[in-house]
Amino acid sequence: MSTQDRNDKKGASPALSRRSFLSKGAAAGVGAAAITGAAATEAKAEIKWDHTADVVIIGAGVSGLAAAITARDHGVSVIAVEENYDIGGRGILSGGRLHLGGGNAIQKKHGIKDSPDQVYADWVRFDANSARYSDRDLVRVFADENLATYDFLVENGVEFIDRMIGPEAASTIPRTFVTVEWHVPSELIAPGRNRNGSGLVRRLEASARKKGAQIFLRHKMMKIIREQENSRRVIGIAAMNGSNPVNIQARKGVIIATGGHTGNVNFRRTFDPRLTEEYQQACEPWVHQGGDGELAAMELGASLWATANQTREAGAAITKTRHIGCRWGYSSLVYQPESPMFRLARATGLTVEDWQNVIFVNQNGKRFWNEVDGSYNFFAACMAWHGDKTKLNGGGPIWAIFDADAATREKWNTKPPNVDPDGYFFSADTIAELAGKIKNPYQKQPMSGAVLQETVARYNSFVAAGADSDFKKPTPLYKIEKPPFYAAWSTPILHDTLTGLRTNTNGEVIDIRGEAIPGLYCAGEAQGGFAQHGLARCLAFGRVAARHAAGRTA
Amino acid sequence: MTTESHSTAIALSEPAPAEVAAGTELMLKVELTCAAGCELHSLPLTVTGPDDSAASACHINDNGEVSLRIPPTVGPQSFTIASGPHEAAGVRHEPCSLSLTVNSIPHGTSLAVWDIPSPIVKGERLAIKVGAKSAADAELKGLEIAVLDNGEKVVARGRLRDAPWPGTTALYWDEVELSAPGEEGLHKWSVRFDAEGLALPHDGTAAEFTAVVSRPPEHCLTVKVIEQQSKAPIADVQIRLGPFRGTTDPAGIAEVMMPKGTYDLHVWKTAYEAADRLVEIKGDLSVQVEAVFVPEEDPDNAWTM
Repeated sequence: MSTQDRNDKKGASPALSRRSFLSKGAAAGVGAAAITGAAATEAKAEIKWDHTADVVIIGAGVSGLAAAITARDHGVSVIAVEENYDIGGRGILSGGRLHLGGGNAIQKKHGIKDSPDQVYADWVRFDANSARYSDRDLVRVFADENLATYDFLVENGVEFIDRMIGPEAASTIPRTFVTVEWHVPSELIAPGRNRNGSGLVRRLEASARKKGAQIFLRHKMMKIIREQENSRRVIGIAAMNGSNPVNIQARKGVIIATGGHTGNVNFRRTFDPRLTEEYQQACEPWVHQGGDGELAAMELGASLWATANQTREAGAAITKTRHIGCRWGYSSLVYQPESPMFRLARATGLTVEDWQNVIFVNQNGKRFWNEVDGSYNFFAACMAWHGDKTKLNGGGPIWAIFDADAATREKWNTKPPNVDPDGYFFSADTIAELAGKIKNPYQKQPMSGAVLQETVARYNSFVAAGADSDFKKPTPLYKIEKPPFYAAWSTPILHDTLTGLRTNTNGEVIDIRGEAIPGLYCAGEAQGGFAQHGLARCLAFGRVAARHAAGRTA
Repeated sequence: MTTESHSTAIALSEPAPAEVAAGTELMLKVELTCAAGCELHSLPLTVTGPDDSAASACHINDNGEVSLRIPPTVGPQSFTIASGPHEAAGVRHEPCSLSLTVNSIPHGTSLAVWDIPSPIVKGERLAIKVGAKSAADAELKGLEIAVLDNGEKVVARGRLRDAPWPGTTALYWDEVELSAPGEEGLHKWSVRFDAEGLALPHDGTAAEFTAVVSRPPEHCLTVKVIEQQSKAPIADVQIRLGPFRGTTDPAGIAEVMMPKGTYDLHVWKTAYEAADRLVEIKGDLSVQVEAVFVPEEDPDNAWTM
């Protein structure tokens, strides 16, 4: 596929082009670094600034757009740079769930009593994995910003579905509501799949632009520029627009709103060494989640914070693949053929309704756990060492094995575009033959047909007897016996980034010595300390950071 | 005019596989080089195979490959790929050659066994389906398959039918009848396929299958499954008592015929939970199971105004 083929409706490819930019080119990147690196080490007066604004925001997703509007509301100029060809980040692919309470209008309408104190109390609960590791100073800020953030959304045109959901996660009362999906199909990334987050980011984008925020698309931040090499004060960023270096001055502050790091194998393994390359990231190929913001700030001495959140074993940091037989089968996210991402995603996947219909095998063709389990014990089993002396970390690919009867029960059509036969889905007339067909970049050695045949025969004996002697799968129901047979990619997929840069309560980035880096802020998934799933914390801290930056002396 | 002499060499650019299936085409990556740097890609080559009395002509294709036809016999096979001499425009490219031996092996075969009834009543006849597949997609019709009991005694034979099983590329199959053993419990059989009589050499193969043998069912267990809160019947619940099974109808009822005994009763349906319970079958029996609905919100649920 040529680069041109990958181009989207607006004429550029997103994450893939960024990756290709980063890899092949490192040539372009090195050149850019040479230019901007020189700029960064020179005195402020010697830097050639291509653009200047009071506040420069890196990333035009949920937190970046909230920051841009807030900065404009405080009367300062704003430039937001976005590496993708369009705004939205992961927010545009989200379900649009907002976890905001405090006694806001929609809660009141539904008779739900809440307060900022209750939000705080819930989200510092010791008995909830999703709350116990958080920085309570940041939770307090979040709680106190709930009402204002709700009002902010209303004032900026965001519409909500009139229904409350919950309680969810650490919350003890319903606080979740959903935005209305964006109404222009051609401006959706995953049309037809209820990705209501599109309504949030498109409304915020419209408001930001109307209020005068500038959004530079296809501008990738390469470096955060300090005043001088030994100065701590941040004064701008160096970016690349295609092959053109662009220096953007920030008179008051730079806000990192780059999203998470789950797409960066090296970085994510900081928190869990098991997360090797075979684990895909939920929102690829639309966004890469490369940890760019965290890395750029860490080069300036920034600290990470509340890193226990990343491995707390609650929520959606890693999830079961729900749509098997494609590379990116994350729970609620399917790129249909009409999606601009489909040419990269290549398949929709086969949606599993009943895990009784498949068995999971590892790269050696052996079962390893009860298939109907979706707990973190299951993920640990997936990532266990399976005896490969050349790969000690990570568990390798996980394959769902099933037969023609299972396909009938699930009403699966096992042909493209439902499956990706280029490495993520295979079929064969016999189980032994199926094993030999499995070829995938992450399958480091051939699967033995004899082993897979033995695995299936053993499982079938459990079905006949009515008891799984190996892994206690409750009531194993269906033999895998009727040809043809199938192997579908079912390796767990990564989602939430739950840790990131340390900030204070103003969103200022804190360095490894515990001091704020002047002029540098962070919000959203790149920010550590408060690991609530979803959009609300991104909105709240985007506003907090922009408000403080706008008030700084230039 | 004087002729300039250039030495040449032919070598593998990727290692040859140690083993190749008999009767197949092996694409071998080779490089033909000139010591003086001339481009020799388009020069004709000759290949002498193990069965060839005379060399055959060939070229290196655009992928840098030369095609070798592996004879349909098993064992070491020697080939020689030769070039030149070639003389043109006052340059003589001297001859060179490459000799190599690859081991020709039989094609693999594999089996599938399906539609195995379970449980089966001891001593009764049962029918199963058996399919055999050649890795070379060879036509297997008419070949014999044998079913052996756990003591390796042949208990049934079949002959593969003319057409492959629907939906497969080349799985030739037959339905085979055999008798259930006289003892209760989980029994194991194997299917053997010798793959003899094919034009290309094939290895035989075997596969195991299992089924539970039981006493004749005497009594009817009626299971009704209802939702704990609403008391509404739940359809399509899978009922399991060891090897015995049933599925609830729209009225939430399943009837399972089974012999006397004590069984763990399990029920299964996605998004429902119910505790297992022990049932003792001494005669016909009716039980009611209350299942708790544990809603798993479908992430694809539409959110509308």
